[in-house]
Amino acid sequence: MGRKILLIEDDRETASYLAKGLGQEGHSVEQATNGQDGLFRATDGTFDLIILDRMLPVLDGVSVLKALRAARIDTPVLILSALASVGDRIEGLECGSDDYLVKPFSFAELLARVNALLRRREARVDPAEHRLTVGDLEIDPLSRSVKRGGRKLDLKPREYLLLEYFARNEGRVVTRTMLLEQVWDYHFDPGTNVIDVHVSRLRRKLDEGYEKPLLHTVRGAGYMLAA
Amino acid sequence: MPTTLRIALLAGLLALLSNLAVIGFIYLRTHDEAVATVHRQVIEQGKVLADVYRSGGASALDDAIDDTMTYADPQTVIALVSPDRREIKGNLETVRAAVLAPPEGYRTALVRLRGQTTPREAALAVVRLPNRQWLISGRIAGEGLAIRDTLERSLLIALVVAGLLGLLCGVLTARYVGRRISDFARVANRFSPRDLSQRVPVSRAGDAFDRLAAQINAMLDRISALMEELRLLTDSLAHDLRSPVSRLRSAAHAAAESGDPAEQEELLGSVIRQADALMRILTAVLEISRSEALTGRKQFNWFDVGELASELAEMYDPLADERGASLEYERPARPVPLFGHRQLLAQAVSNLVENAIRYGSAGGEIRVRVQPGERRIRVEVGDRGPGIPAERRDEARRRFGRLDSSRSDEGAGLGLALAEAIAHLHEGELRLTDNRPGLLTILELPVHAEARAA
Repeated sequence: MGRKILLIEDDRETASYLAKGLGQEGHSVEQATNGQDGLFRATDGTFDLIILDRMLPVLDGVSVLKALRAARIDTPVLILSALASVGDRIEGLECGSDDYLVKPFSFAELLARVNALLRRREARVDPAEHRLTVGDLEIDPLSRSVKRGGRKLDLKPREYLLLEYFARNEGRVVTRTMLLEQVWDYHFDPGTNVIDVHVSRLRRKLDEGYEKPLLHTVRGAGYMLAA
Repeated sequence: MPTTLRIALLAGLLALLSNLAVIGFIYLRTHDEAVATVHRQVIEQGKVLADVYRSGGASALDDAIDDTMTYADPQTVIALVSPDRREIKGNLETVRAAVLAPPEGYRTALVRLRGQTTPREAALAVVRLPNRQWLISGRIAGEGLAIRDTLERSLLIALVVAGLLGLLCGVLTARYVGRRISDFARVANRFSPRDLSQRVPVSRAGDAFDRLAAQINAMLDRISALMEELRLLTDSLAHDLRSPVSRLRSAAHAAAESGDPAEQEELLGSVIRQADALMRILTAVLEISRSEALTGRKQFNWFDVGELASELAEMYDPLADERGASLEYERPARPVPLFGHRQLLAQAVSNLVENAIRYGSAGGEIRVRVQPGERRIRVEVGDRGPGIPAERRDEARRRFGRLDSSRSDEGAGLGLALAEAIAHLHEGELRLTDNRPGLLTILELPVHAEARAA
């Protein structure tokens, strides 16, 4: 399931570290070291994902992104940036990127987001996805009802959203900041383990009393829902 | 030309011009008045005598001239002159030839009366009689002229005095202005990071200069406060980064030395955690200075504070629960719209809630409330923990102003400082008060922060 990823990053050390890691995950990575070159390659349009540094020589990341979107190229774009304030993140997302990751980040965080974006692209190709099933777990997004092993689970609205997000990323690592951004739509870094508390509450409702746990903790990265 | 001199000359010139206008007006009015009176009298007299001639002939005119010479006042001029310009009758000694030339009517001329030595100005009516003789009648305008002369003299003196006074006034003004301005210049020149104590002197006059001085001094106060804060911040940043960096360094060092893979993994995990904590500190410091510099206002939007608070209360409820406290939130009946930065306000409120959970959980109850108001909205977070004594509340909101000295505790001591900076971004404020018992933190925010010049 290797994919074609374009990496536009001028810092050689970061670029080779990312290219190596993504290569080990089975993706083929093409690299560009400035904005102009990156834009030129990206207009090719055959990439599954573009990883774009925000501060680039010749043409900055936001300009590259705007040019791409103006040319109607809708390849998912993940922005990497050292600009860490909430305002910068919002601005980065508002100019047409699909995700925004602040430097420095762990490779696990990047990989989780890359996989989520690739998965979203896949889902777009296959729209007939009414019901989500993970093992003996069944989720109906229309009625927001959840059953496990035929028995109905009683979830609070936020717990449902959390579970649905996990299910849509079945078998992939989901990080805490991804949950905060996608489920709560907050772009700041809470100083507490508030996300973990929510996940463990969901886990109690989901897995308690069942032989096989579905919601797993991935050390040093986040969580994963898998049968 | 020095400014002082220029201002003095300008003021003098202005005084001169305005006085000249007034004096000129007075002169024209009085002059016209006097001349018009004489003019009317003279014309009248000429007409009367001409009528006498027309109805009574030469003899009647002779009698009339005699009567006039006998009874009229010594200022009266009267003469009958033959066509060859010799006087037939009258009191006129000499007259310039030009007087006896067409056209007839009113004119002024220098004349010498019989028995007098100096020629004087007279207003005359000249009539050519049908027998080709000239009839001259009129008045010496001496009294009118005399009044005019004294008037003109005093007006001239007044003008000179006004000019001098204007000049003096200008010099005094210019010196005053110059002195006040040099106060400002001196302070502007001396105010520097090494000397933040310079202030513009304020006189007791309460004039525009004093108001300007007060405003400039207020500005200098703010600059000094900012400089002081910046200095404290850099000091404490340097100090506070030292311990996490040294912890990070020793963990990395221990990992490099360790031979046991499990221990090594443990230590490397700790290195990453320390690095993340450092990044969090730096991000928070950045966020604070961004907010204080009022950037991010272009991302302002209308949103419901009641809904935001309810979302955050729901988000933190399990965490409070886990720490043995209950988080109470009562959502206002109606939406509470506010124009602001939803993400940053969410962060500010979550900082307050996290603080309450972290330090006030022991008290059992944490209460979040949104109080709508017409112009200002209050978001309150109250706990029943130990609270903060009044004298330490300012310290608590300062950057890195964590009150307990245990530095290994979670949180970098930036939560309240960031909440306050975000309040400032919204032209609001953060208040810490006594919750009797516990701590009550209040974010007070205007409904619509005006885009005041930053």
